[in-house]
Amino acid sequence: MRTDFAFVGVMLVTAALLMGVALIAAALLRPKKPNKAKLSTYECGMETVGDTWVQFRVQYYVLALVFVVFDIEAILLFPIAVAFNSLTFFAVANVILFIVVLLIALLYAWRKGALDWE
Amino acid sequence: MNPINDLLKILSDFVAGIVSGIFAFSPFLADLVTMGLAAVILCTFAALSFMGLTYVERKVVARIQDRLGPNQAGPFGLLQPIADGIKMFTKEDTTPANADRWVYNLAPLVIAIFALTTYAVLPFAPGVVGTNLNVGVFYLIAIGSGSIVAILMAGWGSNNKYALLGAFRTVAQLVGYEVPMLLNVLPVVMMAGSMSLVDIINKQTTLDGNPGIPFIVFFPLSALVFLISGIAETGRSPFDLLEAESEIVAGFHVEYSGMKFALFFLGEYVNALAVAFVFSTFFLGGYAGPILPPYVWLLLKAALIFFIFMWLRGTLPRIRIDQMHNLNWKFFVPVSIVHLVVVMALMKLFVTDPAQAEAFGGILVAPIVQAVILFVASMTVLLVSLAIAARRARVLRLQEEAILEQRRAENLAAARA
Amino acid sequence: MTVQQVLFIVISLVVLGAALFVVTTRNLFRAALMMMLAFFGIAGLFVLLEIGLFAVAQVLIYIGAISILVIFAVMLTRGMQGMVPRNSQAIGAAVTAAIIFAVLLLILGPLRVTIDLARWPVISLFAGNASPREVGGIAWTPADRAIPPVPETYIADFGRALVDLNQYLLPFLLIAFLVDVVLAGAIFIARQRRPAEVIEERRLRAEEDAEEAEAMRRASASPALPEGAVASAVDH
Repeated sequence: MRTDFAFVGVMLVTAALLMGVALIAAALLRPKKPNKAKLSTYECGMETVGDTWVQFRVQYYVLALVFVVFDIEAILLFPIAVAFNSLTFFAVANVILFIVVLLIALLYAWRKGALDWE
Repeated sequence: MNPINDLLKILSDFVAGIVSGIFAFSPFLADLVTMGLAAVILCTFAALSFMGLTYVERKVVARIQDRLGPNQAGPFGLLQPIADGIKMFTKEDTTPANADRWVYNLAPLVIAIFALTTYAVLPFAPGVVGTNLNVGVFYLIAIGSGSIVAILMAGWGSNNKYALLGAFRTVAQLVGYEVPMLLNVLPVVMMAGSMSLVDIINKQTTLDGNPGIPFIVFFPLSALVFLISGIAETGRSPFDLLEAESEIVAGFHVEYSGMKFALFFLGEYVNALAVAFVFSTFFLGGYAGPILPPYVWLLLKAALIFFIFMWLRGTLPRIRIDQMHNLNWKFFVPVSIVHLVVVMALMKLFVTDPAQAEAFGGILVAPIVQAVILFVASMTVLLVSLAIAARRARVLRLQEEAILEQRRAENLAAARA
Repeated sequence: MTVQQVLFIVISLVVLGAALFVVTTRNLFRAALMMMLAFFGIAGLFVLLEIGLFAVAQVLIYIGAISILVIFAVMLTRGMQGMVPRNSQAIGAAVTAAIIFAVLLLILGPLRVTIDLARWPVISLFAGNASPREVGGIAWTPADRAIPPVPETYIADFGRALVDLNQYLLPFLLIAFLVDVVLAGAIFIARQRRPAEVIEERRLRAEEDAEEAEAMRRASASPALPEGAVASAVDH
């Protein structure tokens, strides 16, 4: 079983090497003529004013949190799905209870306007 | 062994034989070299198909838009990808001054690497698969999740307000559409009883007494939602609001040029092709099919899905960001959850395996009947939810129009006064 | 030295190095990235333990969800602009960490210690007839080193265990409720405030910032620092 993931490791390393080679080849082939205008930050052709700082809205955080909730639900549901054919009715009823509880969480978030954007 | 059908298997066995012959003194090294060769072949296949796909996409989208597409570089523009490649290699790399060097340089590399490692678990023919992980499905989604990191790296490392903002929005979109993908792969895993991709394909073929029905017949709603979520995950049109030139000027990769930008581009196309392959494996039966060789079937199915991607790109207008989030959290996720519950209940009530019916109860039906029941249930959930959504949208639209009317009447009265 | 041992050493070094970088660096974004590298290394350790399910779940949850949440949270509160968190409790933290490390080494490590409460000065009054106890230690004989291999069907077994009344059903359902509560709490904290609330919060935050500035000024005026002359001039 461990050797399954060995190929994943080899694939990661191979992809890294191949893309690294491409990047190095490009670094060797391309011109290098830096000047001040090219080095400055891009802002649709205008000059930047002030530090790089973005007003970060809280919706991003709430969406990420809702995603964490459903992610956890999903990784618990996957082994259950694999064992599904050998589960009793009682077990499946419990799984459905689990899913419904999370659906209620989603509906609560919906009602409170946490899923709205802007 | 039919030579044409098993061509890939024969070739791979042959190469593996040669390698273990050369490295007979150390089976570990032989394994390593075989795996390395397989990895190189997969990466090359992905890179070459990337080049071909850029050309095909431009041609197809152009024809949909009633124009010709690239036709200057070589006959029918066939050398266009090569011209693009030369351009990518020789463009100057304008790194912004205060960018964080390591983060800025690593981001495109990480995206490309994660995009390429999805090919490690795809079965291309019976017996030809990089590695048959018994958590294959999970692995694919985790890789998609991991590449979100690289987008944050790119956005932050560019030291550019708009890149950072674009990165946040992109991450919000990608993270949002992972949820319907996860929830809709669950019925497939339940039906197949395993997370291994090879097992999923075997369950859709006529091996082991299976009925040979592709899962799209069992779960059309899952297939549809998975497809749309896949399109949103790869950031293609109509979900490409984050690269829209008129809006946020190329989003998180605005400060990248030359080869690094090419790697982002490669990541997007390789991901899209991977989604096409994965959809074919989950819902269309992968390499299974009558007369033609298996790899041809897989390529045909993936090509069909990719054609649907290109078709949608040329046809639909870009979606707005709040529409996109509403679609995801207020339609796809609740509908997927309801569908999952319905499927679970039905799959336990109507079973096809006699031993199972003995042990756990439930009505024993033939596989075809179970397929029909699940199909009907899935379509019912889909149509009912579409009807509810349509009615709700109509109510909202009428409200908006009423507000606009009122405002117009006020403006008119004010102008007249 | 088998391949597994070499891999284990390499991955452990990566995880430890990344973790060290996370707690010592001043650049918060790089700290978050190194944290992701540490999580990736832990996923590698799970692979070495032959449980691919948890390795992939680790990547999916920790790197794909929680790290992003952490980055978002930090950006929301501070914007990652040159923030150098000051730690005024470094000594206490180091002592606590050393104690915990010693306890863990005792419980999980190769040492075995006998505790005989009857010989302790004050506690022996309450110990009664308690017999000496042996604490800690895994006897490292070869027989103990053989860990039973992970069965092929471990995913299905785990799934069945999650819904089995006698095993993990209760924690499974509790997770759903716990996660509900977490979501409700976060939504409450992140709700749209009414204007009066916004003014109140801004006032409180301004007060906190003033207190913090005062504390920092007092700390920099302490005699431990060489710029004592300048600080005392400022301190009026």
